Amino acid sequence: MAALPRRIIKETQRLMQEPVPGISAVPSETNARYFHVIVTGPEDSPFEGGLFKLELFLPEDYPMSAPKVRFITKIYHPNIDRLGRICLDILKDKWSPALQIRTVLLSIQALLSAPNPDDPLANDVAELWKVNESEAIRNAKEWTRRYAMDN
Amino acid sequence: MEQFESLLTCCVCLDRYRNPKLLPCQHSFCMEPCMDGLVDYVRRQVKCPECRAEHRIPYQGVQGFPTNVTLQRFLELHAQIAGELPDPTAGQIMERCNVCSEKAYCAPCAHCEKKVCEDCKSAHMEVLRREISRINNQIRRGLNRLQDILGIVERNTTNLQTNCGAVSGEIDEIHKRLSKALKDRTDFLRTEVDRYLATELRNLTNLKDNLELELSNIQSNCDLADKYMNDDTEWEDTELVDTKEIFLKTVEFLRNFDYEAGDYNRRIRFIMTHDPNQLVMHVASYGELNITQPNAYAGGMQQSQGLTRSKSDHRLATQFRQQEEAKGYTENDEPILGGRKFGERRPPPPERHTRDYGVTEDYSGYESEHRPSRRIRSRFVRSHLQDNDSDTEQPTRTTKVEQQKEKEKVTDTEDATKGPLSGIFRLSDCPRVMQRILDYDSGKKKEKKEPPPPPKPVQPAPQPRRPPPAQRQQSEDDEISRLKRQNKGAATSQEPDRPAPRAQEEERNTTTRKPPTPAREASSDGESDESVGSLQRNQRKTAPAPVTKPPTTTRRPSATEVSTPHRAPARAPSTESSASTESSGSAVKHTGNERTTPATTNGTTGGAQRVQSRFVGSQRPTPAPAPAEPAHEDSETSSEEETDSSEESEEEPAPPQRKPESQAMTRSDIGPLLARSTNARNDALENKTKETPAPTRYRSRQPTQPEEEPPAQRYGAGSSYNRYGSKPKEEERTSSIDDETKYPTARSKYLALKERRNRLARSKSSHTSFGVGDDDDQDDPVSPTTASPSAYLAARYGSGTGGSELSRSRSTHALKSRESSPERPTTGEKDGAALSSWARYLKNKYGSRGKDRDTGTSSSTSRRLSLGLPLRAANELASSDDDSKNAAGSPISPTAATAAVAGFAAAGSSPRSQYLQKRRLQFSVGSRGSEPGCFTWPRGIAVGPDNTMVVADSSNHRVQVFDSNGIFVKEFGQYGSGQGEFDCLAGVAVNRIGQYIIADRYNHRIQVFDPQGRFLRAFGSQGTGDGKFNYPWGITTDALGFIYVCDKENHRVQVFQSDGTFVGKFGSFGSKLGQLEHPHYIAVSSTNRVLVSDSNNHRIQVFDVNGRVLSSFGEEGSEDGQFKFPRGVAVDDQGYIVVADSEKIIEYKCFEVKYKEETKAV
Repeated sequence: MAALPRRIIKETQRLMQEPVPGISAVPSETNARYFHVIVTGPEDSPFEGGLFKLELFLPEDYPMSAPKVRFITKIYHPNIDRLGRICLDILKDKWSPALQIRTVLLSIQALLSAPNPDDPLANDVAELWKVNESEAIRNAKEWTRRYAMDN
Repeated sequence: MEQFESLLTCCVCLDRYRNPKLLPCQHSFCMEPCMDGLVDYVRRQVKCPECRAEHRIPYQGVQGFPTNVTLQRFLELHAQIAGELPDPTAGQIMERCNVCSEKAYCAPCAHCEKKVCEDCKSAHMEVLRREISRINNQIRRGLNRLQDILGIVERNTTNLQTNCGAVSGEIDEIHKRLSKALKDRTDFLRTEVDRYLATELRNLTNLKDNLELELSNIQSNCDLADKYMNDDTEWEDTELVDTKEIFLKTVEFLRNFDYEAGDYNRRIRFIMTHDPNQLVMHVASYGELNITQPNAYAGGMQQSQGLTRSKSDHRLATQFRQQEEAKGYTENDEPILGGRKFGERRPPPPERHTRDYGVTEDYSGYESEHRPSRRIRSRFVRSHLQDNDSDTEQPTRTTKVEQQKEKEKVTDTEDATKGPLSGIFRLSDCPRVMQRILDYDSGKKKEKKEPPPPPKPVQPAPQPRRPPPAQRQQSEDDEISRLKRQNKGAATSQEPDRPAPRAQEEERNTTTRKPPTPAREASSDGESDESVGSLQRNQRKTAPAPVTKPPTTTRRPSATEVSTPHRAPARAPSTESSASTESSGSAVKHTGNERTTPATTNGTTGGAQRVQSRFVGSQRPTPAPAPAEPAHEDSETSSEEETDSSEESEEEPAPPQRKPESQAMTRSDIGPLLARSTNARNDALENKTKETPAPTRYRSRQPTQPEEEPPAQRYGAGSSYNRYGSKPKEEERTSSIDDETKYPTARSKYLALKERRNRLARSKSSHTSFGVGDDDDQDDPVSPTTASPSAYLAARYGSGTGGSELSRSRSTHALKSRESSPERPTTGEKDGAALSSWARYLKNKYGSRGKDRDTGTSSSTSRRLSLGLPLRAANELASSDDDSKNAAGSPISPTAATAAVAGFAAAGSSPRSQYLQKRRLQFSVGSRGSEPGCFTWPRGIAVGPDNTMVVADSSNHRVQVFDSNGIFVKEFGQYGSGQGEFDCLAGVAVNRIGQYIIADRYNHRIQVFDPQGRFLRAFGSQGTGDGKFNYPWGITTDALGFIYVCDKENHRVQVFQSDGTFVGKFGSFGSKLGQLEHPHYIAVSSTNRVLVSDSNNHRIQVFDVNGRVLSSFGEEGSEDGQFKFPRGVAVDDQGYIVVADSEKIIEYKCFEVKYKEETKAV
C-alpha cells in the first residue's frame, strides 16, 4: 500500500485520540482516505437529537485541496441538497490547507445550527426557510426524526 | 510543552517545521511541500492558509521568502531538549518521484532503478513481494523436476559406477590375458635361447676337446719324430712307411683342416614379429574407452588419461545446456542478483560503487559484517562472467565452486551454500535474511518483515531461474498504478497480469550488464570472515549441496579440491574473454593462449584486457556455448597458473573497482559513441527503409538539394563507407520514398525548387556541352566531393545532344529521377527511369570505389575542371548543406568567411590554383549596429537548406537570416534566458529540415527553432556532465542530423541526436592528439569527418564521427599553414577546409584518408 501522507496519518490519529464532541470520524478499513463520519445534530437546532451520517474523502492533493464531504443521511437544510451535497465555503473556494478534518466537520456542525438560506443549495428548502421559517424548522425536525433517529 | 510543540508544527503538514518560511503576514510554513503546494502559479501568489492573505511570490519562488530563523532556533532547541533524533530527511531535497512525479523525498528503488518516493517504493516492494510469492509457487511446482533430475543423477551415479566397474573389470581381464600371453611367450623364448645355448655350448666343448687331443697327438708325434727319427733308432721299414703315412696325413689334416668358424659363430638374434615400438604402443594403448554418448551420464571413463574430471564436468555442462536450450532458456547468462550480494543496493552508477551499500538504516546493521562491497561485487561479477561464457553457468559453476571452496576459505556465507549449478544460495543463510527472520521472530519489526524468505531449496537451479521471465511478465506500471489506485480508494479489481516481458527483460539486461565484473577471488582473503560466515561454511561442509555433490564427488577421482584452489583468477579471465566473444572453437584457443599468457601479462594489463573482453561480453549477452576443452585444460594447468593467479588475485580488486567507470568511460568516450551512433544511424536507415516517420531528417532536404551527391558517395569514405556503402540501394530507394511521401504535401515548394534547379542545371549544362570527351565513365575518377551524378549526367547527355535546352531538360530529368518525384512521369518516364538506374549505377560504383578515391580526387577535380565542369556554383554550395552549410563564421569577419566559402568560380588545374580562383568576394553584408542587417559581434554563420545565410548576431542576442543574395529576411531571438531567448549566442547550425540549432552560449544550452524561427526545444545546462555545457560555441549537424557541439570550456565536443539526446562526447583538455583546448567551431564534411578548430592549440583536428581522432594540422604561427587561434572552420563539398584564422583565412584541401595540406591562401 502506498504510504499515506504524514498529515493524514496524524490527523487520523488525533481524531481517534481526541475526538471532537459530537463528531466521530472513522477511516474506512479499505481506504484510509475515506472516512465514515457521524455528526450529532447541534443543540437548539431543528436537528438536535439526530445522528447524521456523512462521508468524507480526502482527495489526492489533500491538504492542498478541500476534502469532499457529503451527507448520507437525508437532511432538511437549505444549504444541503437532496444528494447530501453541502454548500459550505470552506469546502470550496475558502478552503485552506490549515484547515483540518475536524475543523471541517465542526464547520458542518455549525452550519446545521445556523442555516444560511441566503446562499442556498436546496432552493425549495431555502425558499421555505425564508418564507416560513417555522414550517421549515418543523420540516427539518420531522426529517431529523424520520431519518436521523431511527438507528 | 504541548503548546510549544504545536508552535513548532506546520499547520499544513502537521509536522515539525522543516525549513520554515515566513510570509509577510508573519505566518510560517515549511518550504517544501507545504509552501510549494500553496503557490498559485497562475497569479504567482501564495495565499496564507492561516489568514488567507495573499502575497506575491518573490522572483526566485517560495524560497525567496525569508526563512523563519527564530522558529528554526526553537526547533533546534526543542530537538535538543527533547533529545530527538535529527530529522532523517533534514538534509534531503525533495525531488520529483520518477514514477508518480509527485514531489517527495525520493530514494533509489532497486526495483525500477529510479529515484522514487516512499509510496511508489512500497508499491514496488509490494509488487516484488507478490512476484516473489508467485515465483515461489512456480518454483515449488518446478522443484519436482529438479528432484527428478536428482533421481536421475543418482541413478546415473549408480549406473556410472556399475558401468565403470564393468569396464575396469574388462580391462583387468584383458590385462590378465595380455600379460599371460606375454609371459608365456617370454618364457618360451627364454627356454629356446637356453636350449640353443646348451647345444651350441656342447658342440663347442666337443670341438675344443677334439682339437686339444689332436694338438697333443700331433705334438707328441712331432716330438717323437724329432727325437727318434734319426739314425740312432732303428725302425722297421713298415714302421717308417706308416709313420710317414701318418705324418703325411697329419700334414694333410693340418692343411685341410679348416675350422668353420661360421658354424659355431652363429648368433642367436631376437627378432620381433612386429616393430617393438609399435608393439609397445599397441600395448600401451591397448583398449580405448569409448564413451558412447555425450548425453549418457555414465560412461567408462576413469582411467584413460584423456578424460579428466573437468572434462566430464563440461560434458555434463553441455548436456545441461542442451536441456536448457531446448527449453528456450535464454537468461542464464545473468548472474544471480546481477552480481550483487543479497540485499545490497543495486550497483549504483560508477562512482558510487565504492560506497557502502547498507546506507538505509535497516541495513546499517549489516555493514560491519560485510566486507567492502567492492570486493563482494567483484567476486560476484566474475562469476557472472564466467557464467556468461558457458551459456548455462553450470559448468563453470561447478568448477568455480571448487575454486572458491579452497581458495577463498568460504568466508562468505552466501557462497557457502551457493548452488553450484545456478549460483543460487540459500536465502536463509544470508546474513541479512537471517537478521530479518530474527527480527521477525522477535516481533520487533513485524511490519518490516522481508518477503517471507521462502525457504528456498538450496539449488532450485534451472527452474527458479527460468520461471522469472514468465512471471515477471506483468507490467509493473500496471501493478503500481493499480496499487496506487487501491490506496486511493478507487478499489479496482485485480487486473490480470499483463505480459510485458520485453521491457522487463531489457531492464534486466541492463541491470545485469551494469554490475561491474570484478574478480571472484577477491574474497579469498578471509579477514572479514564473520562468525556467521564460518558457521555457514561449516554447515556447508557437513551438509554438501544435495544435487550436485554426488556427481562431483564421484566424478572427482583425486583430491582436485585441494589442488585447484587458485584456479579461479587465471581461469576466469580466460574463459570469460573467450566465451564472451567467441564460440566454442575459438574459445578453446583462447584458453590455450590465456594459459600461457598470464605469466607474461602482469595484473594490470591483464585486468585491462579483461575489462575489454568483459565489456564485449556484457555487450553481447548471447553466450557462447561452453567448450569442453578449455576447462579441461585449465584444470590440467591449474597448478602452473597458481603463481600467476595468486599474483593476479592481488591485482584483481583494482580492475573491478575500475570496472564500472572504465566501462562507462570507454563507453561514453568512443566505443559507446560509436555504438550508439551506429545504432542510431542504422536505426535511421532502417526506419527510412521502413518508411517510418524517422526520415523526416531527410525529407525536405532532398528536394532542396539539387546537387546533392548520392548517399553512397556521401558516406563513401573510409570507415564510414563500410557502414553506409553496403546499403546504397536502400539509401536510394528510401530517398525516393521519402520524396514521394513528401512531395504531395509540399508540391508548390517542390516546383519552386525545381525551377531553381533547372536554372542551375542549365547553367551547368552549358558548361557541360564542352565535355564531349568525357565518355569513359569507367576511369572517370570518383570524387566524393565533386561527383554529382546529376551534373555528371547532365554533362554526358548534354554533350551528346549539344543543345543546352535539351541538356537542361535532361538534367532536370536526372535530378528528378534521382529524387523520383511524382512529377517525373509527366516529363518522360523512360528517360527518368533510365537515368535513375544510371544514377544508381554511378552511385554504386562511386560508393564501391570510395576507398581508393583519395588517389583520384585531385585528378578528378582537375579533369573536371579541364572539362569545364563547374566545381560547384556558389549557390549550389550554399544549398549543399551537408557539408558547408554550417560554415562557421569567422569572429573577425564573418562576411569574409562567407565570401570565402561562397565565392567559388573555379578553373585551373592544381588544387591550389583552383582554389585561388574561388576567393572572389561576392558580396558583404552588414555593418556594426543593432538594426536588422547589422551586427554586433557576429559569431556563428550557417547556410540553410534553402540557401539562406544564418548569422548568430552574438551581442545583439539574435539570429539573423539572409537570403542567398545577402538580403535580410528575418531575425529572431532576444536577450534573456527563457525559451527562444539568447545570451550571447555563438554557433548556429541549420539541419536538413531547416531547423535552426543555436548554441546559446551564456545560457549553456542548445536551442532548436523551427524553420520559421519558433522555439522548439532547448537542452543542456551548465555543468561538466554528459549533456551539460560550459559555454558552448560552435555547433553543427551532420548528414544524419546528429548535433555536434563545441563545449568550449569543457574542452570537448558533445554529440546529440537531433532531439537533444546525448549520444557521446570526445576530447579532453590537453594538447595531445585528440585533446582539445578551447575548441571553438566545428564542421562536418560530406565524408563524415568532424573538423574542430582547436583554438588554443592553434590547430585543426579531424575526427571521425565516432570521435576517433584522425589527424590534425596547423601549429602556432603566422606563416602559411600556421594558425593563431583558429576559429571558424568549414568544409566545402570538395573537401576544402576553410579555416578562419584569427589573423587570416586559410584553406586546406582535404583528402579522404588523411588530410593533406595542399592549398594555402591568405
